[in-house]
Amino acid sequence: MAASLVRFVRGGLGRSFNIARTSCLLQQQTRLQSSTTETSPTVRPKDSVTHNQLTAFGEYVAEMMPKYIQQVQVTCFNELEVMIHPDGVIPVLTFLRDHTNAQFRNLIDLTAVDIPTRQNRFEIVYNLLSLRYNSRIRVKTYTDELTPVDSAVPVHMAAIWYEREIWDMFGVFFANHPDLRRILTDYGFEGHPFRKDFPLSGYVEVRYDDEMKRVVAEPVELSQEFRKFDLNTPWEVFPAYREPKEATPKLEAGDKVPEKK
Amino acid sequence: MLRLPVVSRGLFPGAAAAANNVRTAATAAAAASNLVEVFVDGKPVMVEPGTTVLQACEKVGMQIPRFCYHERLSVAGNCRMCLVEIEKVPKPVAACAMPVMKGWNILTNSDKTRKAREGVMEFLLANHPLDCPICDQGGECDLQDQSMQFGSDRSRFTEGKRAVEDKNIGPLIKTIMTRCIQCTRCVRFASEIAGVEDLGTTGRGNDLQIGTYVEKMFMSELSGNVIDICPVGALTSKPYAFTARPWETRKTESIDVLDALGSNIVVSTRGGEVMRILPRLNEDINEEWISDKTRFAYDGLKRQRLTEPLVKNESGQLVPTTWEDALTRVAGAMQGVEGNDIAAVVGGLVDAEALVSLKDLLNRLNSDNLCTEEVFPLAGAGSDLRSNYLLNTGIAGIEEADLLLLVGTNPRYEAPLFNARIRKSWLHNELQVALVGKEVDLSYTYDHLGESAKVLQEIASGSHSFSKILAKAKHPVVVVGSSCLQREDGAAIMAAVSTISQNALVSSGVEETWKVLNVLHRVASQVAALDLGYKPGVNTIRTNPPKVLFFLGADAGCITRQDLPKNCFIIYQGHHGDFGAPMADVILPGAAYTEKCGTYVNTEGRAQQTKIAVTPPGAAREDWMIIRALSEHAGVTLPYDTLNEVRARLAQVSPNLVRYDDIEEANYFKQAHELAQTVNQAVLTEPLVPQQLTVRDFYMTDPISRASQTMAKCVKAVTEGAQAVDEPAIC
Amino acid sequence: MASTAATRAAAAASKVVKPIFSRDLDEAKRRVRELYRAWYREVPNTVAVFQLDITVGQGRDKVREMFDKNKHVTDPRVIDLLVVKGKMELQETIQVWKQKTHVMRYFHETEEPRPTDFMSKFYRGHDPV
Repeated sequence: MAASLVRFVRGGLGRSFNIARTSCLLQQQTRLQSSTTETSPTVRPKDSVTHNQLTAFGEYVAEMMPKYIQQVQVTCFNELEVMIHPDGVIPVLTFLRDHTNAQFRNLIDLTAVDIPTRQNRFEIVYNLLSLRYNSRIRVKTYTDELTPVDSAVPVHMAAIWYEREIWDMFGVFFANHPDLRRILTDYGFEGHPFRKDFPLSGYVEVRYDDEMKRVVAEPVELSQEFRKFDLNTPWEVFPAYREPKEATPKLEAGDKVPEKK
Repeated sequence: MLRLPVVSRGLFPGAAAAANNVRTAATAAAAASNLVEVFVDGKPVMVEPGTTVLQACEKVGMQIPRFCYHERLSVAGNCRMCLVEIEKVPKPVAACAMPVMKGWNILTNSDKTRKAREGVMEFLLANHPLDCPICDQGGECDLQDQSMQFGSDRSRFTEGKRAVEDKNIGPLIKTIMTRCIQCTRCVRFASEIAGVEDLGTTGRGNDLQIGTYVEKMFMSELSGNVIDICPVGALTSKPYAFTARPWETRKTESIDVLDALGSNIVVSTRGGEVMRILPRLNEDINEEWISDKTRFAYDGLKRQRLTEPLVKNESGQLVPTTWEDALTRVAGAMQGVEGNDIAAVVGGLVDAEALVSLKDLLNRLNSDNLCTEEVFPLAGAGSDLRSNYLLNTGIAGIEEADLLLLVGTNPRYEAPLFNARIRKSWLHNELQVALVGKEVDLSYTYDHLGESAKVLQEIASGSHSFSKILAKAKHPVVVVGSSCLQREDGAAIMAAVSTISQNALVSSGVEETWKVLNVLHRVASQVAALDLGYKPGVNTIRTNPPKVLFFLGADAGCITRQDLPKNCFIIYQGHHGDFGAPMADVILPGAAYTEKCGTYVNTEGRAQQTKIAVTPPGAAREDWMIIRALSEHAGVTLPYDTLNEVRARLAQVSPNLVRYDDIEEANYFKQAHELAQTVNQAVLTEPLVPQQLTVRDFYMTDPISRASQTMAKCVKAVTEGAQAVDEPAIC
Repeated sequence: MASTAATRAAAAASKVVKPIFSRDLDEAKRRVRELYRAWYREVPNTVAVFQLDITVGQGRDKVREMFDKNKHVTDPRVIDLLVVKGKMELQETIQVWKQKTHVMRYFHETEEPRPTDFMSKFYRGHDPV
């Protein structure tokens, strides 16, 4: 208690002494800086310590579960991401929750991403937080419309509603889920709205019909043309990042393969 | 202004073929050809000697920013935006003007290059007004795009800007000369491509102004293209001003049908309404230009439209009704009518699908009386041999000609882009042009050989002095306009022209694939109609008046009520209430060219298709669908329900009609010539006068342009001067 | 596109996919029949609870129609998912979470049937479809 008081007083006194000293120092520093180094105030500084720690932990996890973990990466924002095979959802999540060095006991978020160009179009993303080690990890799996994913509810109870939302919005079926039903859409709603092929306006619109004395659903009719702006500039924007041209042009049936020159 | 992808741009006019050769030759032994090796950012590329640095970089795919350079115009090099650094060369060079030297390494992204671009952009923006929010070019402005990409992000400008007065150059082009960056693209376009030397620069340095110096209108049929060319918002479109922004419009590629060339256009629409029409690149027909009528007559699509079926009631008034009622009435009138009692007249804006369905319908009623309004001489080869009614050389083929004989035509106003091509050939390839017919103001010099058809016969027989010049020509071309074939002696004129062409073909010793005889049509549907078997000219109807007459877009007024018996039942199907509609007993509203997916064949014989940009207004439907519905009511149901089936029928009749963007070559000139000799060779002595003589006659030639207010303003401006149509400017 | 579909079909024929509930078509058909029986038995309760203006016969015809719409499906996983969705709809109907409007939506009463022949499409408007 007294020690803390002393510390407080010393801090207060010291502050007044230090101000004059630090201001001189600061001035000197700014003069030096403007002449020698360049500052890039809009560029995020690279925190290599955290980056290395996360990379080490990612390698550790990958070594512990080689059967299911397919790839580990640390993004430029210092976020650890682990890609796993869909069969390994429960083992990996259990490991991350229960292992002493991991202890990711909080399921923060569980979402899906629809990337239609891929064969397994949905990417399920689990965001976990470890309060003990103050660290986050992201686990990603993949699936398509017809393949079920094991439900994470036995591991984290928080996943109940999240998985209901994914089922409702994307149509990904979760096996062994205690109560998989719709959560956000209307009761007779057909379709999975967050899929990329579901249009912005939807398929049905509802209105109150006076003859029927109830709300009826009809195919949607837009009164104004759907506004679709094309904002592409005709000038090439990133000449340094051009994709390589296709190696061979597409051949029609009956064409001969051109000789390699 | 038009933005085009880099890849499809031709390097030089007419050197696209050369570029192809360069690309394939590059992989062959380079030492054998005289290609020069240059490096662009370290990447080697082989180019022909004489190509500029900018063209070499475009070959690699590296676009250098520029304002004053344009591929189809001469090089000016006054904007200095294209400055690039070349390794080991002390000063940056203007890429658009400097020919490459062997072994140069062009650095397009080095510090010096970037500094040069930022500097030039800073200078250009120094005097440029802060008009972006109110400028029409916003969103498609070269200055905006290039300053974002290549300019500096901070400004050091603390002085005042200069301002320039606006010039009044006509009711079509809005000039705000303060925004002008003096790139002189419009000056070069006017002098080289349009042929009117109206625009020029006055003053020097900071006081340089572009204008006409005297109060003169920029009176050319291609004047609207300066709007596309101008990189900033100095020259913009007056009818389009303040209506739409380019990013909110939807672009539909289509074909223009207001003249017979079939220029490729892009129809920009927003909210189901046509906002403007822009050209599309097509090297074979219109390059990058379109005529003023094509560009500005779109507001005629919104006025005077037929939107509902109308039938005449007992008191003689046309009243709106439903489709069922109208179709039942027509079917009732067609009951029991067979053979030559039913006839059809077809106008100039009709697509091939409607033509074939109408022909099928009338053929099922045992009638063969299908006529076009535009006359074509039937005697001799007539419309049996395709080569007799096409522009056989092709529009792009004019560039290879060295002697051109125009007969009774004014290509400047009948087919402005064909004229532009002739002018290009005249300017670059030394084409000699001669004209037989009334003297008209073309944008190039020509020898006027005479006015009457007798001159033609003299040339044909070899007694005219021109015959010797014709005999010596290596690639001669003869173009006869369809307006002079409308006369009674059209067949004789055709015969004389055929003789001239045959003699020229034989004497020039040119290869078999070169075609000499060409016919330049004036309406877009004539070639398709002749291909499908329609009879050109309404004489058969005049001689045997029918009981039921079907007008399909026929607004030229060839047949009126006076020519027909009292109880003749007239059905009009079209999209504007122009000339034919008031005559009719039943009016069926059809679709205009922006509202239907139709096939049009241009005078070269090239089939092209329009696409649906907007839906027809009100209860109007597509033309072939109306005829199909009518056939069902009349009991002779046509066998097609969808567009693909109609096109299959078209392919059945004539496969070239569905081979889009491809010319079907026609031949049998010798046989046509022999047939032509059998006709009555007497020509009339009246001079060959084309119908469109001055620019005044250019603007309103078909139902859409006659309904257009912009075209009316143009005609008024031409007759009364620019002040008569000057409106108070908003900005 | 066609090639990937073909390879996918070939792959599906040859490779083993993770089943949802049923391993083969017979099991899937069994589930469908169970679902149909459940719906069949539920229809009179539904008509009573929601106070619908339709007869039980009409309701059962509608159930049959909805099942007939997917008669052509052969992939057991697709059938399983359809059964799952059907079960969810049944649950919502039995527990009266739905309302009268939701149940009546199956009947599409306010929509006009789309014309299929040329003349009706011609009278109706521009849509070529």
